[in-house]
Amino acid sequence: MSFESKLNKGKFVVTAEISPPKGTDTGDLLKDASMIKDFADAINVTDNQRAIMRMSPVAACSILESKGFETIMHLTCRDRNRLALQSELLGAYALGIKNILVMSGDHPVKGDHEGAKPVYDMDSVQLLGMVQKLNSGFDFSGNRLDGSTDFCAGAVTNIELNEIALMKLEKKISQGVRFIQTQAVFDIEKFSVFLDKIKDTGISKSWIIAGIIPLKSEKSALFLNKNIAGIKVPENIIDRMKNARDPEMKGMEIAAGLIKELHGMCGGVHIMPIGNHEKTKNILEMAGII
Amino acid sequence: MIISSQKKFKELLRALKERNIFIIGCGKCATKLHVGGEPEVLEMRKKLTKAGKNIVGWMVMSSACNISSWDDVLAKNPEIGKSEALLVMSCGGGVSLISSLSERQVYPALDTESLGGVRLEDTMKELCGMCGECTVWEFGGICPVSQCPKGLLNGPCGGAMEGKCEVDERTCAWDEIYERQKKLGKLEYLGIVQEPKNHSKKKRRQAV
Ligand code: SF4
Ligand code: SF4
Repeated sequence: MSFESKLNKGKFVVTAEISPPKGTDTGDLLKDASMIKDFADAINVTDNQRAIMRMSPVAACSILESKGFETIMHLTCRDRNRLALQSELLGAYALGIKNILVMSGDHPVKGDHEGAKPVYDMDSVQLLGMVQKLNSGFDFSGNRLDGSTDFCAGAVTNIELNEIALMKLEKKISQGVRFIQTQAVFDIEKFSVFLDKIKDTGISKSWIIAGIIPLKSEKSALFLNKNIAGIKVPENIIDRMKNARDPEMKGMEIAAGLIKELHGMCGGVHIMPIGNHEKTKNILEMAGII
Repeated sequence: MIISSQKKFKELLRALKERNIFIIGCGKCATKLHVGGEPEVLEMRKKLTKAGKNIVGWMVMSSACNISSWDDVLAKNPEIGKSEALLVMSCGGGVSLISSLSERQVYPALDTESLGGVRLEDTMKELCGMCGECTVWEFGGICPVSQCPKGLLNGPCGGAMEGKCEVDERTCAWDEIYERQKKLGKLEYLGIVQEPKNHSKKKRRQAV
């Protein structure tokens, strides 16, 4: 069953994030994927994440698809204008990629090619609108396509939304979003406030996939708080990490606990490990998901 | 107002191969911003002389981007004839115009950054990105094309931290837009799904 049908049928899905290699060697990519093969409903493949140059997500997704994995291809607005975005999408679809996750993308000054031209010809709302057009058989300019796409398009969001951020999320939802993946959740209370806030946007709770970052150490928690927008690891979790004899195990326990609570609240979880997926299976087992 | 800043002197010297230099300042934006008015021109003359250049003369044009007769300029400033190169302390518009009229080697002394203004005492940068289809009222007069480093038209990215933009120390432009529209009672504008800009309005070589 496809990722989309599972979502629609209300299965609690598990997605897992992998970054393409910085180089041409796909060994680690395939190794990472093989560790989650048995239980991941789809693998998210990032697009020059944090503006750090890596292999194209179309290529990486295509390689994974050819090995039998279902992928969710990230597509940012940072590096391509509307022509490039569309041709990338057509190419991706022809290669068997059915799911995409759309976002603005971190600014080039945050990454390893500081002087790159920031494109942002479109924003995420406009890109989602364009995907709908491709799905209906037309390009952005209204020309008929020889074979349309049928993408299942998703959007991203932070959990803590001020009013203007909520307005933007509503616009994304109005552009045919079929699932939403959130920034990492560390506080179930805040997550339910978020679910409450988006109650009236017309998106079903079962389309929301909550982000999970298993912590490795107290330091990793502090790093996330300081450097990653939209993430707030609460004090009590930082303390638990600090006092743990085996911080990595504690991080896994915390992640598993969160997943347990999220089960039943939303449509699934999205695992974004620091490093590789070596421990992902354990965490999901501890959470009783698999 | 065109916002520009002075190049590093070292960088300038590296480009400036000629010895006999005539300096031109600009009486408009560059004067207001203290980067190319009379005091800065005189300071530049001092520094270049110290660096071994021969400054054959200098002037401050009323505006370097608005020249009705180059012959007049030459008549009033015959030293230009003795120069091997002109150093222009204006925005890129003035530099280009003077290059085309003087038919001489022209060097910019400034880096031109953006279209902004001076509000009371504050220099405001990047007020307008010159997109060629102004819809700034929909954003409460705060232009996301130029004030948001990603030029996002439909709302903020998720990158702001504690209200600060992902890219620099400034407040996220979208928080400002929201606050302004709220104050004006025009929040409904922010619910509009904005189409992408039509970049053909901003041709690189439009007919005059
Ligand atoms: S919309 Fe913004 S960039 Fe375009 S003309 Fe108006 S102020 Fe300038
Ligand atoms: S933080 Fe705000 S101003 Fe900065 S890029 Fe994102 S939306 Fe634009």
